[in-house]
Amino acid sequence: MKAFLVRRIYTSFITFIVVIAIVFLLARMTGDPLAELANDPRISPATIAALKAAFGLDRPLHEQFVNYVVNLFRGDLGYSLHYKAPVFDIIMQKLPYTLALLIPSITLSNYLAYTIGIEIGWRRGTRLDSVFMSVSMFIRSTPYFWLAIIFLFVFSVQLRLTPIFGAVTPGKSFSLTWDWISDYLWHYILPFFVMTFRGFLSELIYVRNVVVDVLGEDFVTTAVAKGLPEKYVKRKYVARNAMLPIVTVLGMRYAFIIDGAIQTETVFSYPGTGRLVYEAIFNRDFWLLQGAVVILTMSVIVVNFIIDLLYAYLDPRVRYR
Amino acid sequence: MVSILRDLRYILIENRMGLIGFAIIMFFTLIAIFADIIAPYNPYELVGPPYTPPNERFILGTNDIGQDIFSEFIYGSRISLYVGFTAPILSSIIGTILGIIAGYLGGYIDELVVGAVDVMLALPSLPLIIILAAYLGPSLNNIILVLAIFGWPGFARMVRSQVLSLRERAYVEAARATGAGSFRIMFRHILPHVVPLVIANIVLSATSAILTEAGLSFLGLGDPIAKSWGQILRRAQVGHALHQGLWLWVFTPGLAIALLGTGFTLLGVAIEEKVNPRLKHSRR
Repeated sequence: MKAFLVRRIYTSFITFIVVIAIVFLLARMTGDPLAELANDPRISPATIAALKAAFGLDRPLHEQFVNYVVNLFRGDLGYSLHYKAPVFDIIMQKLPYTLALLIPSITLSNYLAYTIGIEIGWRRGTRLDSVFMSVSMFIRSTPYFWLAIIFLFVFSVQLRLTPIFGAVTPGKSFSLTWDWISDYLWHYILPFFVMTFRGFLSELIYVRNVVVDVLGEDFVTTAVAKGLPEKYVKRKYVARNAMLPIVTVLGMRYAFIIDGAIQTETVFSYPGTGRLVYEAIFNRDFWLLQGAVVILTMSVIVVNFIIDLLYAYLDPRVRYR
Repeated sequence: MVSILRDLRYILIENRMGLIGFAIIMFFTLIAIFADIIAPYNPYELVGPPYTPPNERFILGTNDIGQDIFSEFIYGSRISLYVGFTAPILSSIIGTILGIIAGYLGGYIDELVVGAVDVMLALPSLPLIIILAAYLGPSLNNIILVLAIFGWPGFARMVRSQVLSLRERAYVEAARATGAGSFRIMFRHILPHVVPLVIANIVLSATSAILTEAGLSFLGLGDPIAKSWGQILRRAQVGHALHQGLWLWVFTPGLAIALLGTGFTLLGVAIEEKVNPRLKHSRR
């Protein structure tokens, strides 16, 4: 297990460095980050040169890269020209909102996909199966942001059940903590529902297919032929053997969920890291965009790492390979 | 040849999923081909007052600068289908060539390709696609390029694993015995056997290519000149379509993306079921 852990930390680290290198090279190749300022007649060339020196942009590329990585590990992601604040601080301020949205939503959608996926896989070829399959295929083909807009339109604009934007009512003062919490939850429910609904239905199809694969195995036929009760075969033979590939697939889905968070937060004007990505693109705030992407990427790598540990825990063959 | 026809018959006629999927794709393809005839206006021309609600002149109304949304929608099918086909085809060409070479030749080349594939597949593609698109600039071909950069490793891995078993077959040995060179064996004898699976995966990847293009457009990284369905939605969002009560402006392009995506998925699954031997037992 220890050797596995070491190897896995090493590959995660390499992946991370590759990502950083790509982001860094892209940023440097596609132009001078101070070009906007250089075009401004009010700023003198001397100021630009001073800024260049301050940001280390006058040094050779490899030195800049080392600097960039070192700064990154110190929590320095650069300076947002739009917010006039360090990128790291801005992201950290918004991250709790995103995590509070992502973690419960991923947990619930995975749970639903797993339990229902096993049931409809078991009933493959029935009417129930084809209804779930068609709905799942349709929903996973909808653009995330479009689904969010439709829900917003139906529940907030037409039915007036939920608020239109934000995480809490702006400008409202809360006398009690409970007031704040209920207001927060009232804003939370619709984005949470959109992400869970789409997440669950997109994952369902994978779980179901894995279960159908397992059902074709000889040991299942044997178990049924032995006359074991249906419930027992389903729980002990099918669900357990389907678990490994399902964990892999659900882990791979995480990157898509990030994309979903960016789009959902944008539609609901939810003040999270995803919305930050949209704003950074809108304001051409490239340092902020870079920072947000690096943080989101890091979270994907961390999640993949955890999934792999889980995998090794579930399947001893991985540990001892 | 006969077996290909038999497969096609199964995929398109006997398998209801494949038939429905094919019909949906054909429906949008016909719209794209005959866009000039179907669309009442030039989608770039200002033909009416801004924010006109749907009426008999403008079926879906007009947008924030007075372009006909229905015409935009009709022409948008061209862009979305273009992205849906070219991005996966480009990925599959790169992936298939590398996969065949790596699988057949083995050795250093194989290790190099496998290493590159492993690193690429470990990269979280979506945040990186966003930043690549942001830095490369808003153009449709850049988006397709980015999709291909992240799309080829999946194809390469799949093709390589197929080739590993194909190269041990007797017919490959026979070809080698008659003096055929590596190049000839790889592309004349092995390639035709991996093509069906590659086609299934092209069709299956089309959905995500279309969705990624729409997502990038929505974030403001799309090509403002190529009016895809994603671009129309972006305009609707920025122009506050729902506040103006123009909900058809938002509803129609999104529904079209979802339907076309469903069509590709249905057809892709039907093809895969036929050509992937591993899935044969999946139907009771």
